[in-house]
Amino acid sequence: MRTLIRWAARLYPATWRHRYGAEFDALLDDISPSLGDLCDVLGDVLRVRATTSIDACLVLAPVSPMTLRLPVVVSLTAHGLMLTLVLLAVWGHVTTMPLHVVAPPPPPAPDPPPQVTDARVFPNALTLYSSLPLSMPAQGDALRLYVSNGVGINFLSLPDIGATYRQGNAEWRVWPGQALESFIVRRVLPEYPRETNIRGAASVFVEYLITRDGSVKVLRTSGPAPFTGAAQSAVQSWVYRPLEYESRPCEVISRLEVRFDSEFARSATSH
Amino acid sequence: MQDPTILILASLADGDKHGYAIMEDIQVFAGIRLGPGTLYGAICRLEGQGWIRAVKSESRRQPYRITAEGSQHLKEQLALLGQVVRTGNRRTREA
Repeated sequence: MRTLIRWAARLYPATWRHRYGAEFDALLDDISPSLGDLCDVLGDVLRVRATTSIDACLVLAPVSPMTLRLPVVVSLTAHGLMLTLVLLAVWGHVTTMPLHVVAPPPPPAPDPPPQVTDARVFPNALTLYSSLPLSMPAQGDALRLYVSNGVGINFLSLPDIGATYRQGNAEWRVWPGQALESFIVRRVLPEYPRETNIRGAASVFVEYLITRDGSVKVLRTSGPAPFTGAAQSAVQSWVYRPLEYESRPCEVISRLEVRFDSEFARSATSH
Repeated sequence: MQDPTILILASLADGDKHGYAIMEDIQVFAGIRLGPGTLYGAICRLEGQGWIRAVKSESRRQPYRITAEGSQHLKEQLALLGQVVRTGNRRTREA
């Protein structure tokens, strides 16, 4: 802006610049000029140019008639140039040199750890295999893969299906377990914990991560203590074929429910 | 009170000042910031009227001094302004 104002000051008549130019420059060095100051100077230039009595106030440097005519031509050209410069500056095509070295912006704050488990997931779990008998089934192969005596596995519907969670360099994509069935290489059904005295039905909810090499890591469980250990140790021993997303290896989060029922476990034992 | 010439004369009334000092002084006592064009336009007119004159200086910052004629002009203008203020105050109270 200071440079622009100095350019604008060149539009003053030569006599004015000769008389006031040096101290005007000194003033510009002392202040922090603004766009308003530029307009102020341009306005005064126009006033001086339009005032015929300008020479009367320039007592120290009277001018000749020849030097009066030349500035008129020059000023018309210069005014056009200045108007163009101002318009360019307003449009951002011309920027002034920075007066101070600006410190680089601070690095962005790291993302907070992801809240992986959606609070809505477990309470509103829907069963993929409804009405699990939790006894040794005879309904078909698909069901037999997930049901044993007194124990059954339900894949959960995921409200955040397709979501991506990031933690450091890791990127986890949420995907339902039933869609990944064909990738399972090894699956182990939980065993009903015989040592427990708890009677009736109980559910354990498991959130697990399928890593890049296909192994499974249980992230968290929810449910009665004797059953969470059984569910976790079984699911953690599952193995998948390595998964890919858009032709790149990826890690996938999924969730399931393991149901335990003492009645079916006992009946299986008694048979 | 927007006339820059009166403001500059009032600023120089208590001593010589260069352009930036005049600008700062006026901002302090009148709350008005004169732009550089307005300031030097007024200085040019005041000098032409003989109400101020440049003081010899080696610095780029040229100090100015109010002349006797300038001081007289300032007193007249302030007296006129005082009359306006008194009249305005009286009429405001009566209203």
